[in-house]
Amino acid sequence: MFGYVRPLKPELKVLEYEQYKACYCALCHCLGECYGLFSRAFLSYDFVFLAMLLWEDSRPVEYKREACVTNPFKKCPSCTRNELFELCAGYSVILTYWKLRDSASDDAFGKAAASGVSAALLKGAYRKAAGRYAEFDELVRANLDELAALESANEPSIDKAADRFAALLAGAAAHIKDEARSRVISQLLYHTGRWIYISDAVNDIKKDCERQNYNPIALKFGITDGVLSENTAAELKLTLTHSLNDISAAFSLMPENPWHGILKNIIYLGMPEVTRQVFAGEYEDIDYRLHIKK
Amino acid sequence: MKDPYSVLGVSPNASDEDIKKAYRELARKYHPDNYHDNPLADLAQEKMKDINEAYDAITKQRSGTSYSGAGGAYGSSYSGGSGYSGHTDFAAVRDALNRGDISRAEQLLDSASNRNAEWHFLMGSVYYRKGWYNEAHDMYRRAVSMDPGNAEYLQALNYMERGGQAYRPAGYNQSAGLDACAICSILMCMKMCCNCR
Repeated sequence: MFGYVRPLKPELKVLEYEQYKACYCALCHCLGECYGLFSRAFLSYDFVFLAMLLWEDSRPVEYKREACVTNPFKKCPSCTRNELFELCAGYSVILTYWKLRDSASDDAFGKAAASGVSAALLKGAYRKAAGRYAEFDELVRANLDELAALESANEPSIDKAADRFAALLAGAAAHIKDEARSRVISQLLYHTGRWIYISDAVNDIKKDCERQNYNPIALKFGITDGVLSENTAAELKLTLTHSLNDISAAFSLMPENPWHGILKNIIYLGMPEVTRQVFAGEYEDIDYRLHIKK
Repeated sequence: MKDPYSVLGVSPNASDEDIKKAYRELARKYHPDNYHDNPLADLAQEKMKDINEAYDAITKQRSGTSYSGAGGAYGSSYSGGSGYSGHTDFAAVRDALNRGDISRAEQLLDSASNRNAEWHFLMGSVYYRKGWYNEAHDMYRRAVSMDPGNAEYLQALNYMERGGQAYRPAGYNQSAGLDACAICSILMCMKMCCNCR
C-alpha cells in the first residue's frame, strides 16, 4: 500500500521498537520464503499494522534469531512464523500486484513501464497468493476496478472514491469468524483505508495537478495549481479527524493483545502525526523510516 | 456472570478508591458520546452495561447493605443515536434511520423528488452513518442554508464541525504532547550532553 500507517518512533518504548522490528522481520521472512525474494521489496508498514491488529488476544508472541537478507552474517530477533503472518504476506502480495497493474496502465510512460515490469516479475508470487486467498484477491480486484472506473469518469466525490479503497481494506477482516470482532476490525480498517486514501490524495495533489492525474480533491475544490486553500485544508482535516475518531472508537472495543502498546502508539500518535505532516508538506521530507538495520 | 473485578480490570484486593478510578476510566472510554451515530454503538452499550453491573456488584458486596445503582449515573443516555422524529415529509426515511437500516433510507431518498432542506439533512444523516463525512458535511450545510431556522439541522451541522469525539487514554492526548521536531531536538541535545554512543 502506501506505508502511511506507522508508529511515532520517539514515543515507542525501546522494547516496543525491538518488537516492532521483529514483527516486520517476520513478515519479510514470510514473504521471502513463500513468495520469493522480489516480493520483499514491497513490504510496507501498513501490513505490520494489519498483522498486529488481526492478532488474537490469546495468541502468544514467540521470538527467535534469524539471519537477514540484507546482512546474512548477523542474526536478529524475528517473530516466529505463523499462519497470520502468512496471511498478511499473501495479502501484501495481492494488493501490491494489483496496484502495480493499475499504475502500469495509468501513470506517465516511464513509471508505467517500471510498474509493468515489476508486476510481471511479481506474477508468480501473485498466482500463489491468489490461489491461497482467492476471496481477498477477488475483493481487491473488484474494488480496484470500480475505483479505476470512478477515476476515468473524473468522479469529484472524495468519499465515493475513498469508499472503494476503504471497503477493500475492510475486506481483510472478512475471514474472522467471531461476528462482533469481525465488525469492530472491519470498521477500524474501513476508516484506516479512508484515511490512507484521502491522506494520499492530499500528499499527491501538487504532483497530480502538474501531470493532470486524477485527484478527487483537486476535482471537488477546483484546484489546478496543487495548492490547498486554508478553508479546503480545514475541511479535509475535519473529515480525517472524524475517521481517526472512528478508528479510536473501534479500537476501544478490542480486547488487549500482545501488541496493544504499539497499536496505541500508531493509532493515537502515529496516524495523527502523519496527518499533520501531510498537510504541512513535510511528509516526504522527514525521514521517518524506522531504519530497520541489522 | 463474569467476575466483576476482572470486568473492571482490577484485583479483588484493590481499594475502593482504585475501583472507582478504574470504573470512571472505563465509563469515559465507552461513553455514548464517543459512539454518536456509530455503527458499533450497540457493542459499546453492552460494554457500558457490563461495567455498570460490575461496579454495582462490587459496591454492594463491599458495603454489605443493599445498594442501589451508583453506576447508573453513566450510560443512561444510550438511546440509539439522536433519534429522528418531529414533523416530517419523510416519515419512512426517518423510520429506516431509527431502525439503523441505512441502505433502505438511502434508497427511499434516492427515489424522492421533493429535495427540500429536510431531504438534504436526512441524506447527510445517511452519509454520516456510512462514514462518508465529507458528503455528510456538504448535505448538512445545504440543509442549514435552505432552512436556517431549523434547530435539528443546525445541531447536526455543529456536531459535524466540532469533529466528533473519541476516547484517548491519559498520556495520548495529541494537544498535550510535544511535536516530533521538539522531541528530536531534545534527543539531539541529550546526545550531545551525554557522551555515550
